[in-house]
Amino acid sequence: MITVNDFNGKVKPDWCPACGNFSQLTAIKGALTELQIEPKNTVIVSGIGCSSNLPEFIRAYGFHGLHGRVLPVASGVKWANSDLTVIGYGGDGDGFFEGTQHFFHTAKRNVDITYIVSDNQIFGLTTGQASPTSEIGFVSKSTPDGNIEKPVNPLTFGLAAGATFVARAFSGDPKHLTEIIKRGIQHKGFSFIDVMSPCVTFNKLNTYDYFRKRVYKYEAKDLKDFSAAYRISEEWGDKIPIGIFYEIESKRYEEMDPVEVEGPLVTHPIYSVKDEDLEELV
Amino acid sequence: MFNMSDNEIVFRVAGAAGDGVQSAGLIMAKTFARSGLYAVTYNYYQDIVRGGESWYQVRASPKKVRNQGDGLDILVTLNEDGLVRHTNPNINEGGASSLSGIAIFDESITNYEKQQKVDYRPMPLSTIAGKYSKNPLLKNTVALSAAAASIGIDFEVMAGVIKETFGNKGAVADQNVQAAKEGYDYFKAHYPPYGKKLDFSKRKLYLIGGGEAVGFGAVKGGLKMYTAYPMTPASSCLHYLASHARKFDLFVKVSEDEISAINMAIGGNYAGVRAMTGSSGGGFALMTEAVGMAAMLEIPLVIYEAQRSGPSTGLPTKTEQGDLNQVMGASQGDFLKIIFAPRNVMEAATLTAEALNVAERFQTPVFVMVDLYLAEHSETVENLNFDFRIDRGERPKDGQANYKRYLITDTGISPRAVPGQEGLMHNEDSDEHNEYGDVVSDAVTDPKDRIKMMEKRMRKMQTYINEMPPTETYRADDAEYLVFQWGSTQGVVEEAIDLLRKKNIKVGAVEINRVFPMNPDIGKIIKSRKKIIVVENNYSGQYNSLLKSRFLCQTELITKYDGESFFPGELATSIENAIKR
Repeated sequence: MITVNDFNGKVKPDWCPACGNFSQLTAIKGALTELQIEPKNTVIVSGIGCSSNLPEFIRAYGFHGLHGRVLPVASGVKWANSDLTVIGYGGDGDGFFEGTQHFFHTAKRNVDITYIVSDNQIFGLTTGQASPTSEIGFVSKSTPDGNIEKPVNPLTFGLAAGATFVARAFSGDPKHLTEIIKRGIQHKGFSFIDVMSPCVTFNKLNTYDYFRKRVYKYEAKDLKDFSAAYRISEEWGDKIPIGIFYEIESKRYEEMDPVEVEGPLVTHPIYSVKDEDLEELV
Repeated sequence: MFNMSDNEIVFRVAGAAGDGVQSAGLIMAKTFARSGLYAVTYNYYQDIVRGGESWYQVRASPKKVRNQGDGLDILVTLNEDGLVRHTNPNINEGGASSLSGIAIFDESITNYEKQQKVDYRPMPLSTIAGKYSKNPLLKNTVALSAAAASIGIDFEVMAGVIKETFGNKGAVADQNVQAAKEGYDYFKAHYPPYGKKLDFSKRKLYLIGGGEAVGFGAVKGGLKMYTAYPMTPASSCLHYLASHARKFDLFVKVSEDEISAINMAIGGNYAGVRAMTGSSGGGFALMTEAVGMAAMLEIPLVIYEAQRSGPSTGLPTKTEQGDLNQVMGASQGDFLKIIFAPRNVMEAATLTAEALNVAERFQTPVFVMVDLYLAEHSETVENLNFDFRIDRGERPKDGQANYKRYLITDTGISPRAVPGQEGLMHNEDSDEHNEYGDVVSDAVTDPKDRIKMMEKRMRKMQTYINEMPPTETYRADDAEYLVFQWGSTQGVVEEAIDLLRKKNIKVGAVEINRVFPMNPDIGKIIKSRKKIIVVENNYSGQYNSLLKSRFLCQTELITKYDGESFFPGELATSIENAIKR
């Protein structure tokens, strides 16, 4: 029986008090525990940013890599050993600026990874610049006169890319967040969860209060309805929906690749070249 | 001038892109190989799919051949332009010789100035081909078989190669063989044989390209995953691995960019399979950040770097050894980076296999650097299926108590756990970390841990140097003059040395295939020589700079940066001039 304590890392998180990342760490541990996934079979790959420090704070196999490169590493891990539960984790700058192309293509490939983005709509670790999800007019160190660039919508982007599971959650609702992460891990294929996660130090606009006034739980009538998912993904303003917007079953990359389908690559024996393999070169 | 051997044939097929020049050249090379002749090919082509000019050369001999060679005995030309270019005594093809032998071409080509050293052999290539098929490329087969007839190659040998090339059984293969037979007979009926006779034999030879050899060597070295983004000239390896993925049980993926490709390979290695990535200079530039990450997390990684002429897009289909500075300088900070540069096709296979062992044992990035010449030319090799023992490096046992991923050791190497192992969970971090993998850069920077970890990682360099095999030399024992070469120039340098030795010049070579770290034994090798000469296919002499700064020696530099490889006669002259300087 795996308990939440099995996932407790020995290093204490160094995030600012009340940072939205804390509840995500708790939710990830909770979801893994509920699903009885062993720490030894869990790999958490992160990028660079405040949130990306998370692998150090959880007892599992952690990989804290480069800014924006969460998903290629996570894909490599999954393809090497498809028995592992692979979680990609990073911030909005990491995922929607520097890692945009990887997000698009990993979603399209339907690699069986759960990608959780701690979306605080600002650069925290670099002390407060506008991020790809910062709202128009948002004042930051890099946009002293207000942001003039439209924010990216990660959910419609994920849908357009072909993600087979798209959801939004809120760090201020840890129970709901845990449930969504659990569903994301259970989903067979690429699952994307955008977590609205207030940065209490640098983002004075998108605060806990801001979200508490606006978020509501969305229950899809038909999770396979792409148009409905797209419409709900576009809703943002006085009301902000959270929940699973879209989920379909589709073949995973690992099911389609003729070598992957034979089982985890790490279990394949090393190929021993026979002389007859080389006859074509004679 | 230097006299070339009589006991060999230099064959060249010329035409435009889309004419089937390369496949014609390969058919000829394979026919030579099956006739028991050693062969080396040379691929001259442009960055164009149709048109332009291209040619493919094959040098064949019953004795081992080490490069594409000088001279030209037989020219098959598929257009008028090729006939004019390759018979011109003032040929301008990057060092290749003009024809001094026979030219085989379609009889419809009549508009050319006759050259003294050329015997013209017009043939009804298109007419013969037209009897069997409407495909204009069929005339290539007719011309090739005429060339085979001119030097007495057994028609059945050539017919076998043609059949295989065109899918063995079926109408296309039959048409090709029939047309070839008619071309072969036509030549014999109308023209005398070419003046040189070759000793054919039954020896078994494999014909394989450098890029393919890298791929094959990787398979021998236990490769399970290859991730890349297409770029000439790294793609010949990608194509070999992709087309053999099922046979060799390999996962091959072309990803959205080179950044992704290298990070995927790192992920694969981290999770316990042998993974490799590859690109050319421009694509590798995108990979550089991840090189340092692999070193910091101490994850094994082999990077295949196939150089072409730079800077920037440069000459996309031309050779150069101009990426050494880039590879040496890739990624910020100090760390152990091991650079291999195979010197020939066989070594492209063996060193790649070795690179996979070294990467996993030392848990650091290892480069296999080739150039376009090596990646895209073929050589005959014996015993291709070389013996190799895979060494997966130090691994901890499941459940080991108080596991430290980055344990401080005398060698600098720490036992490496992979995901899935019981009780060894840990964090691998691109931030500086301690022995456990815990970050020491965020809340409190610990200078002591930092120093310990830097020194631990750098200690691997001395551990590696201690086990380096001695540097190889060629005719160097009594040499007053020493020529340094690295990578693909081995064959041409050796031949240039042989040519100069015939003139009683005491010259030898140092042949570098393990470029960095540099072997300390080089210091002893260069002692008491009259002159050190460095030969490089680049502008500035990138290896020369390394050599001079490490061993504080004076050198003479010979470079070539027109996009082509050195040719033996030209190089011998350059070395002779450098000696005289």
